[in-house]
Amino acid sequence: MTPRKQLSREQVAAFQAEIDAVRNEVKADLGERDVAHIRRVIRIARGSAVAGRSLLMFGFGPASWLLGVTALANAKILENMEIGHNVMHGQYDWTNDPALASQTYEWDNVCDAEQWRHSHNFMHHSYTNIVGKDRDVGYGILRMSDKQPWNPYHLFQPVSNLLLALLFEWGVGLHDVEFERVFAGKVSREQFAERMRPFLRKARKQMVKDYLLFPALALWNWPRVLAGNVAANLIRNVWAYAIIFCGHFPEGAETFTEEETRDETRGDWYLRQITGSANLEGGPLFHIMSGHLSHQIEHHLFPDLPAHRYAEVAPRVRAICEKYGVRYNTGGFWKQYFSVMRSVFRHALPSRAPQPALA
Amino acid sequence: MTQAALYPLGRAARRALAASWLHPLNDTPAVDELLGAINPMWSLNDIRARVVEVILETHDTRTFVLAPNRRWPGFQAGQHVALEVEIDGVRHHRTYSLSAAPGGRRLALTVKHQPGGRVSSWLHQRVRIGDVLKLSAPAGDFVLPEPLPSRLLMLGAGSGVTPLMSMLRTLRARNYGGEIVFLHSCRQPADAIFGSELKALAAAWPALRLVMHYSQEQGRLDRTALQRLLPADLSGCHGLLCGPHGFMDLVNAWWHERGAPGALQQESFSGPVLHAVAPAGASSEVRCVRSERVFTAAGQPLLVEAESAGLRPKHGCRIGICHSCQCRKLSGTVENLLTGAVSSAPDETIQLCISAARSDLTLDL
Ligand SMILES: Cc1cc2nc3c(=O)[nH]c(=O)nc-3n(C[C@H](O)[C@H](O)[C@H](O)COP(=O)(O)OP(=O)(O)OC[C@H]3O[C@@H](n4cnc5c(N)ncnc54)[C@H](O)[C@@H]3O)c2cc1C
Ligand code: FES
Repeated sequence: MTPRKQLSREQVAAFQAEIDAVRNEVKADLGERDVAHIRRVIRIARGSAVAGRSLLMFGFGPASWLLGVTALANAKILENMEIGHNVMHGQYDWTNDPALASQTYEWDNVCDAEQWRHSHNFMHHSYTNIVGKDRDVGYGILRMSDKQPWNPYHLFQPVSNLLLALLFEWGVGLHDVEFERVFAGKVSREQFAERMRPFLRKARKQMVKDYLLFPALALWNWPRVLAGNVAANLIRNVWAYAIIFCGHFPEGAETFTEEETRDETRGDWYLRQITGSANLEGGPLFHIMSGHLSHQIEHHLFPDLPAHRYAEVAPRVRAICEKYGVRYNTGGFWKQYFSVMRSVFRHALPSRAPQPALA
Repeated sequence: MTQAALYPLGRAARRALAASWLHPLNDTPAVDELLGAINPMWSLNDIRARVVEVILETHDTRTFVLAPNRRWPGFQAGQHVALEVEIDGVRHHRTYSLSAAPGGRRLALTVKHQPGGRVSSWLHQRVRIGDVLKLSAPAGDFVLPEPLPSRLLMLGAGSGVTPLMSMLRTLRARNYGGEIVFLHSCRQPADAIFGSELKALAAAWPALRLVMHYSQEQGRLDRTALQRLLPADLSGCHGLLCGPHGFMDLVNAWWHERGAPGALQQESFSGPVLHAVAPAGASSEVRCVRSERVFTAAGQPLLVEAESAGLRPKHGCRIGICHSCQCRKLSGTVENLLTGAVSSAPDETIQLCISAARSDLTLDL
């Protein structure tokens, strides 16, 4: 049963006030420390990219290749997760620094930033885990909830899951094109072309950079650079996929129907964000490498607070949840990851219980 | 100087580094940050200036003498720059007139400390010789008319004398042979910005007639006082006016009463608190500079108000989560409907879907 039904209206209002208080306290405290953090990560990511690309271009032997790939993958992970994702959420808009402005930031992967802001910041974060509205539930490819209708092609989802992991940036890049609506004939040819344009522009830019320009600059060393860039992008893809899947799809993370979320107050919205998300436990380095999405619960409550603050507020959020008897889903990476895999396999088969028809 | 010898080389390298078609090889912000780390004056595009002298003009006013980098394009007397400072992680922009005469290698900003003012306080308390500040290119059309008229009437009050001082210094350097009447109004002699320099200039330069008005001794400046202090015959006079609102309103009224003997050029230093904060729900006028539209807003979120006025601002969630509706507020006071926080800062970013007008506003919409 969802907490929205368990708690009385007064309790939900009190719960909302307590979460609001946490948010307002952090908001009032934003300053030098937060800017120093993100600028430091930006410097590290840049340094790591320069080091990685140089090692791939000028190094020789397998050891320097591996090192180069690691450094470049590290740079891409930091840039995509701790910098790009968080900056585009508006976490640093209060700084007035154009380099940290959400609406103009562009990141280092094939997803067009403007389409990302629509599909992620708006669609996913407003309609979190509402089946049929939040297109991040299974990404239109996988069936991750009993509330999604079963289809024979879901039998192949252990394989499609693997492909999604390897090609994650492409999945994300094409997400806002809404292929399932294209196939269902709900999108006209013109609309489809319109949506493909930004994706193709961005994908071309990325392809030219990683698979043409940098290899070409390495002259005869081009195969080494090309292979290194492919490997770095793959590593980033798999890592981002794993973190993001662990954030919403471990067992116990709730999904919702549109019916259940009608006339939500902000308190109800908070409750949905908490029960639809799951945290990962780990050290500070793990949190930064995950862009603090390891604090998925706090991120969903406060998507526009600087992410490095999530660890600080997590104990308070957890205490508030305990007080109201709201489930706070948290666990180690492998525990959550296996839980996600079980769900991928389980939902490949039709659910036993009768499922509500999807609107 | 080695820097000068390297200049042509530097210019070619800078052009290449700033060329957009070379991206991603020349990530401009990254290069800029690297350059800045080596020498804070270096930048591909930014105008930066080192503070070389701080002059205490009065008890609450300081002049910051600046040596700009090569990005500085030069200016005309009377123009101003936007100064960018970062205070506790937040960047602020404030406009300051250039008070020195153009042509030299140094610039000067003369800043009056506003009690409780964020940027002026910071400049007074924190900025030291050797610090590097970031400036915009100069702007503004409050400049001397060309050709120079034969009679000039300059009227300044408080920190409003800064652009006039730059003009006066320019006129002096050009050996202006006409007639200048310069009225400087402030509370008391200790408050007179450039007071002693103006007096010395008037003593040595017959073209300049200086009129000082101290409201504490001589009473509030009003139309009769202006009538008494300034020449009876203003024919052919070109007026140049700068100061606080009250002073400017007064001079304008008086000038028209005198039948507007000539052009009256003016610039206002209007501050944000001049918009009185209205009670929640009162109706305010919202000016949108990009779409050139004006609409009236009451207590509703600005997104809703703008939409009912027929505008189509970009938006997503409408509940303050996605930041799609972000917009720059250029002036005025808004209330954040989620937190209840009321903010008057000029030039800040707001979310239209959770902000309501609490004064007349100017938006970059
Ligand atoms: C074209 C132009 C030229 C200008 N040239 C000059 C110049 O040459 N020299 C100069 O000194 N100024 C000049 N100004 C004014 C300048 O841009 C700033 O507005 C001024 O320095 C005040 O900025 P601030 O950040 O200190 O104050 P802000 O923080 O912006 O506050 C503005 C006013 O509000 C008051 N205030 C702010 N917070 C509080 C509070 N909590 N409680 C009570 N009161 C508060 C302050 O006293 C201040 O008067 C110019 C302005 C313009 C538009
Ligand atoms: S529309 Fe989403 S924050 Fe305003």
